[in-house]
Amino acid sequence: MKAILGSPLGAGAVLALAWLVLVPLLHVPPLILPSLPAIIRDALSVWPALAAGFLRTLLETVLGFVLGAALGVGCGVAFAYARWLERAILPLFVASQTVPVIAFGAIVVIWFGNTLLEKVMIAFYLTFFPVTVNTIRGLRSSDPERLALLRSFGASGWQRFVKLALPSAAPVIIIGLKLGISLSLAGAIVGEWFGATVGLGVMLLQSLYDEQTARVWVLIIACGLLGALLNGAISLAERRFVWWRPA
Amino acid sequence: MIAGSSVTGSAKPALLELVGVSKRFGRAPQETLAVRDLDIAIQPGEFVTLIGPSGCGKSTLFNMIAGLLPPDAQGTILFGGEPQGDGKLLGKVSFMPQKDLLFPWRTVLDNATLALEIEGLPRRAARQRAEALFPEFGLQGFERHYPHQLSGGMRQRVALMRTFLFERDLILLDEPFGALDALTRAIMQRWLLDIWARHRRTVLFITHDIDEAIFLGDRVLVMTARPGTITLDERIDLPRPRDPAVITSEPFMGIKRRLLAILEQESLKSFAVARP
Amino acid sequence: MRLWATVLPPCAAILVLLAVWQAATTGFRVPDYILPDPLAIIGTIGSSAGSLGSALGVTVEEAMLGFAIGAGIAILLAILMVLVPPVETALVPVVVALNAVPAVAFVPLALIWFGLGIWSKVGIAALSVNLVVLLNALGGLKAPDAAAIDLLRSYGARPLGVLWRLRLPAAMPAIVTGLRIGLSRSTIAVIVAEMLGAYTGIGQIIYQSTAQVDYLTVWAAVLVAVIASLLLYAVLVVIDRKLVWWS
Repeated sequence: MKAILGSPLGAGAVLALAWLVLVPLLHVPPLILPSLPAIIRDALSVWPALAAGFLRTLLETVLGFVLGAALGVGCGVAFAYARWLERAILPLFVASQTVPVIAFGAIVVIWFGNTLLEKVMIAFYLTFFPVTVNTIRGLRSSDPERLALLRSFGASGWQRFVKLALPSAAPVIIIGLKLGISLSLAGAIVGEWFGATVGLGVMLLQSLYDEQTARVWVLIIACGLLGALLNGAISLAERRFVWWRPA
Repeated sequence: MIAGSSVTGSAKPALLELVGVSKRFGRAPQETLAVRDLDIAIQPGEFVTLIGPSGCGKSTLFNMIAGLLPPDAQGTILFGGEPQGDGKLLGKVSFMPQKDLLFPWRTVLDNATLALEIEGLPRRAARQRAEALFPEFGLQGFERHYPHQLSGGMRQRVALMRTFLFERDLILLDEPFGALDALTRAIMQRWLLDIWARHRRTVLFITHDIDEAIFLGDRVLVMTARPGTITLDERIDLPRPRDPAVITSEPFMGIKRRLLAILEQESLKSFAVARP
Repeated sequence: MRLWATVLPPCAAILVLLAVWQAATTGFRVPDYILPDPLAIIGTIGSSAGSLGSALGVTVEEAMLGFAIGAGIAILLAILMVLVPPVETALVPVVVALNAVPAVAFVPLALIWFGLGIWSKVGIAALSVNLVVLLNALGGLKAPDAAAIDLLRSYGARPLGVLWRLRLPAAMPAIVTGLRIGLSRSTIAVIVAEMLGAYTGIGQIIYQSTAQVDYLTVWAAVLVAVIASLLLYAVLVVIDRKLVWWS
């Protein structure tokens, strides 16, 4: 029962049902929560823009994420094996995760203009740090006994990395990737606020200025769907590559 | 000091020889001496068991033979007559630690071939070699399973297979049957002797079980409490192949009584040290 | 000795970074709107200390308030969900759905509901904190295995007793982790919300300065926000160590 409710599809279905029934029942004012049919009508009225926006934001998020994840894992590997680099820079990385990097959005626009690249850059920046930190943690978590076993076989450093360190790190890296993809999405949306014509973030901002509550909800749901889709993709990768229970 | 002696004066050098090997851990003044003045010689084809009280340094000894720890400067380890510098022994000895240490993300087959892969054997050839041994190790049909699907005894057998596939003259087994129940252990002991007779490698086997040590070995080395050194080197002249019934025979009991006396002495020393 | 080893390398790295930054911007005569030099930024902070300070005060107040409300509700909810399982079953779809939507997508809604005053920011902060603390707390409270629980029950403990003696202490590390992540999220959420609509606050200053093309102030405000976040993070690390010293 809980499993069905916990799945995105199940949760969505239950919520939709509750929404459909409760809003008219409790006479909730449309300014707070419009009825489900009203939301659907509004969504359909802007369907082309909504679809285009969905795809555009998806593109920005995925590009930023892929760049951030690739660089993040690369840096993570470098830092894990060069202790001096790690000691100097890792604390900065960890602290930077608390910094309101999104505030830099304005400056990023100055640097990269009002382009796709600008949104990708923000998304990239937000993904990069958590993935790096998690990669380092994961690589460090190799079981020392298994390491000794490989050494006793005469394994080279590279072999120890590929056969033990990397697989051991995979579960932790995936956690970093999950975090990265949500941050990447948030970054793309906020990036769009600083200037864009197409995108979910753009439409969200517009609906705020026009004070259209229904539209706001449409976009919240659209963002939620996008988020669920991306998270689901990572979870799929997790089930395919990191399915084992740690020994 | 060794009471009793190993074969001397033969033309072929001992396969493994430890001369005056000690190992200190930590820095003065808190340094601990784990093992002290070990003198051991193992001939090719022998099955030697090592027994001693807890904490006597058996695992430290194994780590040194496997090349994972260097002995202190004044001792030497010779392999095939050649002295081995720091790390030179890595990859020369087939080492099986106490835990099976299987990799959970690899199938049983790929776990068995782990050492072969490291050696550089291509995957297909390694897998073929391993697959041939599955029936002998009682694991036929489990090639594509994963470690978490196997029982403890089966995982131990996979680890043993990994150890045997790594074709080296010397095999080190650190309490491989320690975690098994008595019944499984008895079966595994007989099966191990069978395999050893067929593949004829040299085996050094650590155990805390006196029956096991006498039943399996050509020789039994007894270690003292920490700092561990060899206090007894007992030749076991029971006929091979070993009949399970020999455990209750008079000669066996005689040897056991001798070893028990020394072991109890040494174990009490460990306990005395532990008490505040 | 150990404190120096951990603090010195990152401080050195920061100083090197600042020095290179200063040299590059003055040496290459980089215009202010692309990248101001650190000294100019610090100068601006000095000259605008008053307005920046009061804005920061508002932002921090909103973040703390949101944090307290969000975390408090989350912990109470988690305890309720553990004591009364049907509550958990009922809330699972809501939590799953809310988790999928990036918190930033709710900012327009918060502004429509609560206006431009502090409560919209507090609300957003509370939301971002709530989810993370709730999920962590729930995971931590449910962690003790059946054997441990049965043991306590065999001593005659009732559910509340099991909660107090076993589940809560076991959940502390997870809860504290959640609180740490929540605190940094609350600051970021508040600043983002302020950028979209507020009377005052660091985010609002960033937004206004961008509109007025006063990039020096943008950098100054961002820097102030960064320092505040780092201080908050440091406070958290200390609290973490005091509360969860055994892990």
